[in-house]
Amino acid sequence: MNAHTLSSTAERSYWLGRYIERAETTARLVSVHANLLFDMPRRMPLGWRPLVAITGSTELYDELFDDTTEKNVCRFLINDQRNPASLIQSLSWARENARTLRGIIPRPAFEFVNEAYLFAKDQLTEPLSRTRRVSGLTTITEYAQQVDGYMSANMLHDAHWNFLRIGQFLERADMTTRMIDVGTGTFWDSAAELEPFADIQWRSVLRALYALQSYNTTVAEPVTQGPVMDFLMNDPRLPRSLAYGLNSIRNNLRALPRHDKPMRAVNRIRRELSATDVRGMTAAGVSEYLDQCQVRLNQVHDEIHKTYFDFRPRRKRAGHTSVLKHTRKS
Amino acid sequence: MTINWSEYRTDAFFDELITPKGRARTGAGNLCRVLSQLSDEEIAERKTAAELAIRSMGITFTVYTGEGSGSIDREWPFDIIPRLIMKREWDQVAAGLKQRVDALNRFIDDIYHNQKILDDGILPREYIEKSKEFRPECVGIDPPHGVWSHVCGTDLVRDADGRFYVLEDNLRVPSGVSYMLENREVMKRVFPELFEEYVIYPVDDYPDQLAECLRSLSDMKSPQIAVLTPGIYNSAYFEHAYLANAMSAQLVQGSDLVVGRDDRVYMRTIDGLIQVDVIYRRIDDLFMDPEVFNPESQLGVPGLMRAWRAGNVALANAPGCGVADDKVIYTYVPDIIRYYLDEEPLLPNVPSYRCVDKEQRDYVLDNLDKLVVKPANESGGYGMLIGPKATRDERDKFSRQILANPRNYMAQPMLLLSTAPTLVNHHAEPRHLDLRPFILSGRKTYVTTGGLTRVAMRKGSTVVNSSQGGGSKDTWVVDLE
Repeated sequence: MNAHTLSSTAERSYWLGRYIERAETTARLVSVHANLLFDMPRRMPLGWRPLVAITGSTELYDELFDDTTEKNVCRFLINDQRNPASLIQSLSWARENARTLRGIIPRPAFEFVNEAYLFAKDQLTEPLSRTRRVSGLTTITEYAQQVDGYMSANMLHDAHWNFLRIGQFLERADMTTRMIDVGTGTFWDSAAELEPFADIQWRSVLRALYALQSYNTTVAEPVTQGPVMDFLMNDPRLPRSLAYGLNSIRNNLRALPRHDKPMRAVNRIRRELSATDVRGMTAAGVSEYLDQCQVRLNQVHDEIHKTYFDFRPRRKRAGHTSVLKHTRKS
Repeated sequence: MTINWSEYRTDAFFDELITPKGRARTGAGNLCRVLSQLSDEEIAERKTAAELAIRSMGITFTVYTGEGSGSIDREWPFDIIPRLIMKREWDQVAAGLKQRVDALNRFIDDIYHNQKILDDGILPREYIEKSKEFRPECVGIDPPHGVWSHVCGTDLVRDADGRFYVLEDNLRVPSGVSYMLENREVMKRVFPELFEEYVIYPVDDYPDQLAECLRSLSDMKSPQIAVLTPGIYNSAYFEHAYLANAMSAQLVQGSDLVVGRDDRVYMRTIDGLIQVDVIYRRIDDLFMDPEVFNPESQLGVPGLMRAWRAGNVALANAPGCGVADDKVIYTYVPDIIRYYLDEEPLLPNVPSYRCVDKEQRDYVLDNLDKLVVKPANESGGYGMLIGPKATRDERDKFSRQILANPRNYMAQPMLLLSTAPTLVNHHAEPRHLDLRPFILSGRKTYVTTGGLTRVAMRKGSTVVNSSQGGGSKDTWVVDLE
């Protein structure tokens, strides 16, 4: 069998994993946030701004829109092709990557990705009513789960699979830190006024990470910042916790050749995580720590990129010389 | 209504299975009997079974649907009635093909070295010098075994006299062999009982033979072989992936390869750079190396020609081999065979007229309504004039083109292409077909058993190209016990 995995297909697997995850998280984020707002007092000016901040696209948003309304933010995050992080763009990139991986990912997995993209393109269009939005976003998350399940159950668990998972869990770890950041309230302008609603916010963060039920059954503490953060950062049983994500990345890296540098970058985050007392931190301290986590996750990406995807030829490979017969026939 | 052979009309054409009197040809008896015993429902079932097999096996080809919309994958159009060739006849054809490709490889090697054939006046020097496919960059190169065209697809047709003629030699990057292999797989699923009635020679050793041929181009014990594809949007991508898989070779695109300062070719893998020893390239010469050829090419590998010239990588087929894949050079192939091998050609050419010759050109211009005119360097049936079916305007346009550039054209009489029974709405109707066997040349020469039979699905049409509505049939080379 093929002894080698091409950098190019490895890279596309990695990005397929990332984009599918990003599409799902974005859909989940918008749904849950809308829910959260129903529970908040109407006079609160917080609104939709945090969702733009969480995806790190404030600058682009302000260029494209004059004010921060539900309509504008949803459009920006769901079907605005000018926003490279929008749901539709994530699905479009996922589809391109899946398409070029024919023969590597199972054909139905490509078809699910394709259908998800076509669904978003045809159904999640402006003007997007709340009802259509809610059901449409649910459909997207279901598609993402189908893709994930189909590949997990049917794809050869080879190096391509490892890259797919690394991409997926790196994206997930990154999104988890961003969602926690929303919970801390540092994105809001009037954090002090929000104090009474903190538990609602944390509940919402848990829900966005499919973690509320698990929290209720396993953590015998009320929904407050300390225990929730501890749960989301450290619990190795929760598939969307930072610790779980880092473990998964580690396990998949371990199956790959030449993993020293990326592995070192992952282990560094793990070390820092275990040395951090998340329960005892102030909101500002948490936010700073999460920012650093994101920088560190990005370093993992860089190391993977440099090690596997983008490297230059250097010198002769030792021990392998090929001499073709070039003798003239007489 | 079942298939009734007495209603089958062969007209003036040679039919592969049925004689003009409506009887089965030698060897075709069992097949015709089995087919005529099937009810309409059974025929429909077999047809559906074939379609399902094709879909589930993912046998597709890509069709360009125009700008913007890009391309789509279509399922391979397949006719369930096989075409039969007797082993004894096939052995003669195969010998003719070997002879032909052997001579053509010697010709190409001569053209890029001493050009003795030109010195001896067998072929005018200017034909080579004016050939779009002559590559000065290849002069003096010595590819292993002196072979330039390692994979050749030669198109054969049968005329009304029942003889096989060579229509053209595809020496550059011929495609279709994967469909030959898949057609057989589909037939085994659809008509298993027929395989008990006949001694059908297998075709499935092709990938092994191809791998063996490619390996013979390197001195390495187990050389690293890569199949270089332009990518998923290429119409033959299915085949590139299929062959790479069947040979356990690496399927790569240009961007996966890099030529180092040591003039060696490497592929980028997650294990680092791995040297590639043999490349079965499925992209055209001109896109292969932007350093030497088309600088705009995104498909190629900068420095590939350097590596090839240094002898650090074998390229199959070798760049420049298209110089013999030229429809005007084609007219000289019988002379080329005599010149290099001192033998009479075993397989005849279709009689052809060279437009570059004044006398022959005048004949062509006077008889455009009876002839097929072909440009020297097009493939896939493009840029041709089919005289009897063309309008006056089209013929006038071609007259002007021929006069402006006579070197670029040759003409042939309209052949009465043979037919074979093809399923049309539960009935068997005659449809025209051709045959593309594949010839591998490395340390040894190998000819496929049969080849890819392409059939024009539209009544009366002789255009068999899959991009233009052609389909295919399984080709059985059979022995009578």
